[in-house]
Amino acid sequence: MKRVRLDPRTKLYMILVVSSIVMMSATTPLLWAVRLAVTAIPLALLVVEKRYASALRFSVLYAVALLLSFRFLSEESTGVFQSLLTGYCGIVVQFMPAFITAWYVVRTTKIGEFMSAMQRMRVPDGIAISLAVVMRFFPTIKEEYAAISDAMRMRGISLGGGSAVKMVEYRMIPLLFSCVNIGDELSAAAITRGLGGKGKRTSVEILRLQVFDWLLIAAFTAAAGFFVVFKYVL
Amino acid sequence: MNAKQLTAKDFITIGIFTAIWFVVEFAFGMLGYIHPYIVASYVVMLPLAGAIPMMLFYTKVEKFGMITIMSILIAIIMFVTGMGYLGAPLCIAAGLAADLIAKSGGYKSFKKTVLSYGVFCLWICANYFPVIITAESYRRGLVEAGFSAEYAESLFRAINTRTIGVLLIVCFVFGCIGAYLGKAAVKKHFEKAGIV
Repeated sequence: MKRVRLDPRTKLYMILVVSSIVMMSATTPLLWAVRLAVTAIPLALLVVEKRYASALRFSVLYAVALLLSFRFLSEESTGVFQSLLTGYCGIVVQFMPAFITAWYVVRTTKIGEFMSAMQRMRVPDGIAISLAVVMRFFPTIKEEYAAISDAMRMRGISLGGGSAVKMVEYRMIPLLFSCVNIGDELSAAAITRGLGGKGKRTSVEILRLQVFDWLLIAAFTAAAGFFVVFKYVL
Repeated sequence: MNAKQLTAKDFITIGIFTAIWFVVEFAFGMLGYIHPYIVASYVVMLPLAGAIPMMLFYTKVEKFGMITIMSILIAIIMFVTGMGYLGAPLCIAAGLAADLIAKSGGYKSFKKTVLSYGVFCLWICANYFPVIITAESYRRGLVEAGFSAEYAESLFRAINTRTIGVLLIVCFVFGCIGAYLGKAAVKKHFEKAGIV
């Protein structure tokens, strides 16, 4: 199958629409259907990108949470277990669609594409560069954190002697150390490649909205319009 | 190039610290689903927990705009993660004000840094905005999303138009306390190691 390459601008639009729809609460089965459809698209795109494991994981998580919150939780639920369950389902049902979309975008957008798209949309450099760094930095933080936890476990101080302050301190300080160093390396690398120079930057990635992009944009616009009309007008 | 202008290095620093700050916020934010009073206590936890990275960030801030850009990024991330756009203006305003306060101290004065961080922390209250402004529909949304009526009740008992003032003040105060603690931590670990 020919690989579908989406334009980063389409992806950003997708994020925009999905998070707006997630923000408005779905009240009728019809609205839930729209919400599910909107969630299904990034999942399908994950499959197209051959990210089967994450697609499956997300689908299962989301399905279980939906099922639980519809079957077992209601206005009358009380008790500790119930409220923990509510918490879990609440997070997942509420944020999963936006999370899946964001995950898809972060995992499949090359930094060059992203920067080039930002430039085309005339986003100021400051915001574009910082946002690109944020996007790329989450996986780094996760890696560093795992390394720190490993080191702590090896020395048997993973609970920080039972003190909450120590637990935070033991983790955060080493993490900050490595992040600051990585940041310095990152800026050195970026500046050698001409970031922040005076000239207009060119890009190897030539961005063009293709048929598939337009189709998706149309689909998402329709979904958002549908949602708003049925929620607020009818 | 103008020395006052932000360079690519500054932008990368902003990006890194925003990512760290967001991870910290996210980790604590998850606790809020256990009980609504924890949601209200964000104003205590987040300024304290975020103080160490932020104080380290402040040591790297020398030019106007870095704190403002950070607040814009936070507003964008908040929107993307589905927390709404109602808080965005407060978020950016807090960032801008924090930036101006720090600037008046030349980004060196510790007193101004404390104040600035206190103001910056006010963005946390931006998270409450949807709860207050759209109270009725938010409540309905919560219950329909499977939260119990008990959760919704406690949430609105803790966060409403009357308590928001208190929350803002508490947030500011703990921001200032956090700044002192964060500064101590930075001094203890980073200045000795010669990183700053």
